[in-house]
Amino acid sequence: MSMRQEQLPDLTDDMFQPADIDSSKNEEIAGESTGFWKDAWRRLRKNLGAIIGIVIIVVLSLLAIFGPMMNEYSYHEQDLMRAKLPAKVPGLENVGFLGLNGVDIRGVDQYEAKGVDEYFWFGTDEFGRDQWTRVWQGTRISLFIALAAAFIDFVIGVAYGGISAFYGGRVDNILQRIIEVLVGIPNLILIILFILIFEPGILSIILALAVTGWIGMARIVRGQVLKLKNQEFVLASRTLGASDGRVIGRHLIPNVLGQIIITTMFTIPNAIFFEAFLSFIGLGIRPPEASLGSIINNGFSSLQIYPHLVLYPSIVISLLMIAFNLVGDGLRDAFDPKLRK
Amino acid sequence: MVSVMANEKLLEIKNLKQHFKVGKSVVKAVDGLTFDIYKGETFGLVGESGCGKSTTGRTIIRLYDATDGEVIFDGENVHGKKNAKELKKFNRKMQMIFQDPYASLNPRMTVADIIAEGIDIHGLAKNKEERMARVHELLETVGLNKEHANRYPHEFSGGQRQRIGIARALAVDPEFIIADEPISALDVSIQAQVVNLMKKLQREKGLTYLFIAHDLSMVKYISDRIGVMYQGEIVELADSDELYADPLHPYTQSLLSAIPLPDPEYERSRTRKLYDSEDYAPKSGEKRVLREVKKGHWVACTEEEYEQFMATV
Amino acid sequence: MEKILEVKDLHVSFDTFGGEVKAVRGVNLHLEKGETLAIVGESGSGKSVTSKAIMGLIPNPPGRIKEGEILFGGKDLAKMSEKELQSIRGSEISMIFQDPMTSLNPTMTVGKQIMEGLIKHQRLSKTEAKSRAIELLKLVGIPNPDTRVSQYPHQFSGGMRQRVVIAIALACNPRILIADEPTTALDVTIQAQILELLRDLQEKMGTSIIFITHDLGVVANIADRVAVMYAGKIVETGTVDEIFYNPQHPYTWGLLGSMPSLDTSEEELIAIPGSPPDLTDPPKGDAFAPRNPYAMKIDTELEPPLFKISDTHYAATWLLHEKAPKVEPPEAIKKRMKGMASSKPTMVTKDGERNG
Repeated sequence: MSMRQEQLPDLTDDMFQPADIDSSKNEEIAGESTGFWKDAWRRLRKNLGAIIGIVIIVVLSLLAIFGPMMNEYSYHEQDLMRAKLPAKVPGLENVGFLGLNGVDIRGVDQYEAKGVDEYFWFGTDEFGRDQWTRVWQGTRISLFIALAAAFIDFVIGVAYGGISAFYGGRVDNILQRIIEVLVGIPNLILIILFILIFEPGILSIILALAVTGWIGMARIVRGQVLKLKNQEFVLASRTLGASDGRVIGRHLIPNVLGQIIITTMFTIPNAIFFEAFLSFIGLGIRPPEASLGSIINNGFSSLQIYPHLVLYPSIVISLLMIAFNLVGDGLRDAFDPKLRK
Repeated sequence: MVSVMANEKLLEIKNLKQHFKVGKSVVKAVDGLTFDIYKGETFGLVGESGCGKSTTGRTIIRLYDATDGEVIFDGENVHGKKNAKELKKFNRKMQMIFQDPYASLNPRMTVADIIAEGIDIHGLAKNKEERMARVHELLETVGLNKEHANRYPHEFSGGQRQRIGIARALAVDPEFIIADEPISALDVSIQAQVVNLMKKLQREKGLTYLFIAHDLSMVKYISDRIGVMYQGEIVELADSDELYADPLHPYTQSLLSAIPLPDPEYERSRTRKLYDSEDYAPKSGEKRVLREVKKGHWVACTEEEYEQFMATV
Repeated sequence: MEKILEVKDLHVSFDTFGGEVKAVRGVNLHLEKGETLAIVGESGSGKSVTSKAIMGLIPNPPGRIKEGEILFGGKDLAKMSEKELQSIRGSEISMIFQDPMTSLNPTMTVGKQIMEGLIKHQRLSKTEAKSRAIELLKLVGIPNPDTRVSQYPHQFSGGMRQRVVIAIALACNPRILIADEPTTALDVTIQAQILELLRDLQEKMGTSIIFITHDLGVVANIADRVAVMYAGKIVETGTVDEIFYNPQHPYTWGLLGSMPSLDTSEEELIAIPGSPPDLTDPPKGDAFAPRNPYAMKIDTELEPPLFKISDTHYAATWLLHEKAPKVEPPEAIKKRMKGMASSKPTMVTKDGERNG
């Protein structure tokens, strides 16, 4: 037995007098009070990936709103005289390796060849429409579809899953069997049928995505509520005489909300991707309207000669997907109670 | 706690049954309990995990609907009622303290909102100031202070959380509190804090407790009378001193002889009695029923065993 | 007595979001051959962390052994590589955990789980390992071991599962068995059986046991020596009789006083007020001072050194200093103190010299 006791100072009698211990201090809690949301935000702020994701989403959203207004071209204005021009950006045109100087892959300056004086920042498509305007117009539509679909998923999923778990028993049994039937049908077939019956367009795509999209949310909410509804704090509330409404509103929803937000964050990129996929196989937005998927689809046919037609919309869609996933991951870490001290 | 008021019955439980369907079979968690709890006393209910003691507590307070039997509180049958207003009145009289200090407080609510839940539900405060004043008063009652009101549960230790749970139950001024293993998740030194607090509250407010636990030494300490549960039934019921001094049922004997005490010398000489329910099953197939063999001392026994007990007493 | 394990000045920290948690802050202990050392303390006192450090099971990150030595058979376990530790874990030192439900693999038969260690460490053939597994199941008191060996964990009850866990731990005749609250999740009657089993096995096999628990009844039952931990330090250590019948540290008083014995019925239990300290920022001086009704001024400034009460009994409290006023322990504790002649305590300094 040895002790770390270097050198004892002189011990005076006075030091052995009873100490004044403030007994009320025993129960004191140091530090500032932190609620769940404040705590989560503190954690999210420290997550570099999530912050990058948020910045990307904000920038792309602003561009989707204001991008089309940043030049004088509209998304449907055609001019075959200036078709298929590569990207050319004032200022950056002199930086060779960026490839923003209007020179195509064969080394011909198309702007000079076609006698065009204007600058097209992302180039033009086969009808001479400004690609910059179309890409941001498409982003706007893609984001709108994704957000609307996610919102519908959220509303139906939370209500369905919540009711199923909260009332349990027979109600739960019936609602879960319905879900199983829906899951049994391949959702691609369901969506294609849906779009064939209705006119292809923004609304029908949103509805098609929502037909089966809410199932994931409903299952997550059901699982959470099932777990929570027998927790002792819910039982305590019941023994105090709380109504169903109070139990749901005060105890269940606030505790499931974190999960719901995370799930929504992952639904959005899925919806963006699915919309792009539908447009890509020709079931999406009708021209001259454009979504990111349909723009990529148009450019895909001449990928080898005019790569810029695919490159820019692809970058945007990839950034969106990555950003939403980063934010979703960050939120999951921030909300995860296992990491709480 | 000798102040049991003239044996006035507060709660009568008559042939209470709680059966759960699990797949195709039926689990008889509680199977025909009958006992009374007197005003101002602490009734201890002990037994090992799965014996149905927690289910009993939850059925009494109506978290589960009883399969059969009656729970009569202050002369009124609790389980017959359907009227929402009557139920609310009942909710105020009977409250519960839970086992797990981590799961029994909503992590998204402040301590003030948690404690004030009963006040809000029953409209016991006229305005916000009165509500907060009441919350502060309750916090002080359980040994916490005002500054804690705006904090969240995760900032508290297990013992402090358990005291918040007690304050929540006290907010509606109950007469009867069911404590469902309130200390088994706490550290030894903190257990004493909570038990002392419960005793103090009982003295000050004349509360009646049903104390459910598996820790027999603590139950002995806090209870006036104890019921020993085994497989959904009460096998022995007596005053706590009497039960420890003269356990009659072999299960009670095995349970008591298994408790390790903080006394090495006693531990070296302690011998354990074994209990096997199959060996003990009556040969004649007769069902054992609770019979009073001494004043206030009930044992589950057959007719024949009863006569033997009576002969030795 | 032969010391088979010695822990010297162990410091273990965890890096968390809220800062560095100093879970173990300078623990010294040793284990003798064939004895049972009980480490007692509340949750967060560092008792489990100490045992995990001995096993080399501190998850890194966030945890790390900051300082100190863990000497076993002339080697320092704290400095060993993971590979070297693996050859010791399970064969020389093994561990039983609290929850028998989660410490067995539900998808493997119990026989296979026992055989794993035998095949890995003792290089037995499959048939040899199997017959040894049956032998072990018999040893830990499982009826019909021949058929039980090929059953899955869910076919066993809680108490039987803990027996299987013990069989796995003992498979390779370890020299040290670390039992981390092995009976906390069990009912009292099952707990009594498991404790009997452990004592019985210890007698047969001569294993040394480190028994971690917060239940003083269990300690009185199984321990030869006791170390009481508080806030990452050992505050009192001694033989089981010294701790239960002649406790010196006010924390030990509090622990003993907070448990009702069967004859304390009317008096109040001695509750230790407040909560254990936050180990991200341990208080200056004696960590127990804020909860100690006997606290002196010096407690708030200087950490108390160990005072020697007897050759086996040490306590870290300034109350034992010659200048400290004589204090009366609480009634319930005085009742316990049965004329154990205590000589004048002496202060222990760093190099083991005694003065004062």
